[in-house]
Amino acid sequence: MENGTITYTQLLREDLGIFRVTPDDGVPDFKAGQFLNLGLPLESKIVNRAYSIASSPENRDYFEFVIRWVRKPLPGRLTSLLFNAKEGDKISWTKPAGTLTINDTLPNGEKDTRRIVCIGGGTGLAPFISFAQHLHDTHDKREIVILHGASYVDELSYKQLLTDLENESIAKGADKWNFKYRAAISRPQEWTNRAWHGYKGRIEQFLRTSDNGKSPLEDLVGEKITADNTMFYVCGWQGTIDGVMDYLKAKNFVTEKNKREDGSYEVKFESYG
Amino acid sequence: MAEEIVAEPNYEKLCSNILNCNEHVRFAGFVNDKSQILFSAQKDNLDSLLNESEIGMSIQYTLDRWRKAQNFTFRLGKERLTLTEYDNVTLFTIPFKGKLLLVSTEPRIEYDPIIEKVNSIIADWTK
Repeated sequence: MENGTITYTQLLREDLGIFRVTPDDGVPDFKAGQFLNLGLPLESKIVNRAYSIASSPENRDYFEFVIRWVRKPLPGRLTSLLFNAKEGDKISWTKPAGTLTINDTLPNGEKDTRRIVCIGGGTGLAPFISFAQHLHDTHDKREIVILHGASYVDELSYKQLLTDLENESIAKGADKWNFKYRAAISRPQEWTNRAWHGYKGRIEQFLRTSDNGKSPLEDLVGEKITADNTMFYVCGWQGTIDGVMDYLKAKNFVTEKNKREDGSYEVKFESYG
Repeated sequence: MAEEIVAEPNYEKLCSNILNCNEHVRFAGFVNDKSQILFSAQKDNLDSLLNESEIGMSIQYTLDRWRKAQNFTFRLGKERLTLTEYDNVTLFTIPFKGKLLLVSTEPRIEYDPIIEKVNSIIADWTK
C-alpha cells in the first residue's frame, strides 16, 4: 500500500463525512469513477476497505471521498477509525482500480455522444462527483444528468457543487456545458425534510412513466429516453441497482455484464451492498 | 401450503387501553421508523402542550435518539424504555414490534405502576 495523510475532514452529519487524502508521492493517474482501498492500523494490522474517489483525475492535490460511518449491526472497523481520525493522521491507500468509468467510444470505435445519466444512491454519488468535475474540466459536450437519492436532506452531499454546475450550464448555454442535477428524498414526511420541495420518493422512480406517458427524467431532458440516446451509470446499494434495472430492462436496456454480441450496452453499475 | 398469518396490532385499541390504564396518562401513540403516526389518542379536555409543527419536531427527536441508541445494541442489548421528565410533562417511549410507543403523563408522579401496566397491555396485544 502507498502512504498518505488525511488533510481535510468535514462532517456533514454524525455519520456522513468528506475526507481528503494527500498521497506522499502525489496523486497517480486514474479514471473518473474508480475506487481505491484506504487502510488504517488496528491492533497491529491494517484494516482496509474500498471507497469510490469523488475527486476528479484533474485534481492533482488530493483524493476526496464521501463516506458513511457504518454502525449497524456492528460498527464498521475502518469507518469507525476514519471518523475518529484527525487531520494530519497518516493513512494507507492502494492504486485506483474499477470499471465504473466513462465510456468515450462505442464498441465500433465511434465517439460516444450519448447523454450520460448517473444515478447515485447515498454515498453512491461519489463516482459521479468525479465524473461531473472531469467532464466539466475536459469541456465535454455531452448532456450530463446526475440524479441523487437520499433519505434526508442533510445527506445531499455535494448539493452546492452540483447546483453550481447546473447554474453554470444555464448561464453558458447547453452547447458549452450541458449539465442537470436533481435529487430525491425518500422520507419526505419526516420533520427534518419538512422544507424539501424537490422530488419525493426513491431515486429510481425518476425512470417510472407518469400519467403523461413520460418519466420525470424524460420530462427533464425533453425527449424519450432510448438505448440509442442515453448511457446509464448507476452506483449504490443493490436495491437501488435492482430498482433502476426493473425500469431499464423493460425498455431493452442492457448492462455491461450482459452486453450484446456486438459489444453494445447502455448500463454500467457498481453496488456496495 | 399453509401460510403463517401475522396479525397487525390493533393500535387504536392499544392506545385506548393505555390511555385509560391510569388517570395520569395524557397521551398514547405509535409511530413507525418513518415518523408516521400509526394511531394516537389524547385524554379529552387537555390542552396540547405542543403545536402541530412542534409535535413533528418532537417525534423526529425521539426517533433520532432511538436510532442512535440502536448503535449500542451490539454491546448493551435492545433498548426497552426511555423516560424524560420535563417541568410540565413526562414522556416515555417503549419499542414495540419495530415501532415506537410514545406515552406522556403528568410530571412527578409514580411512574413504575404506569410502566408496568403499559408493558402488560402491549404484551397482551393479541387479546
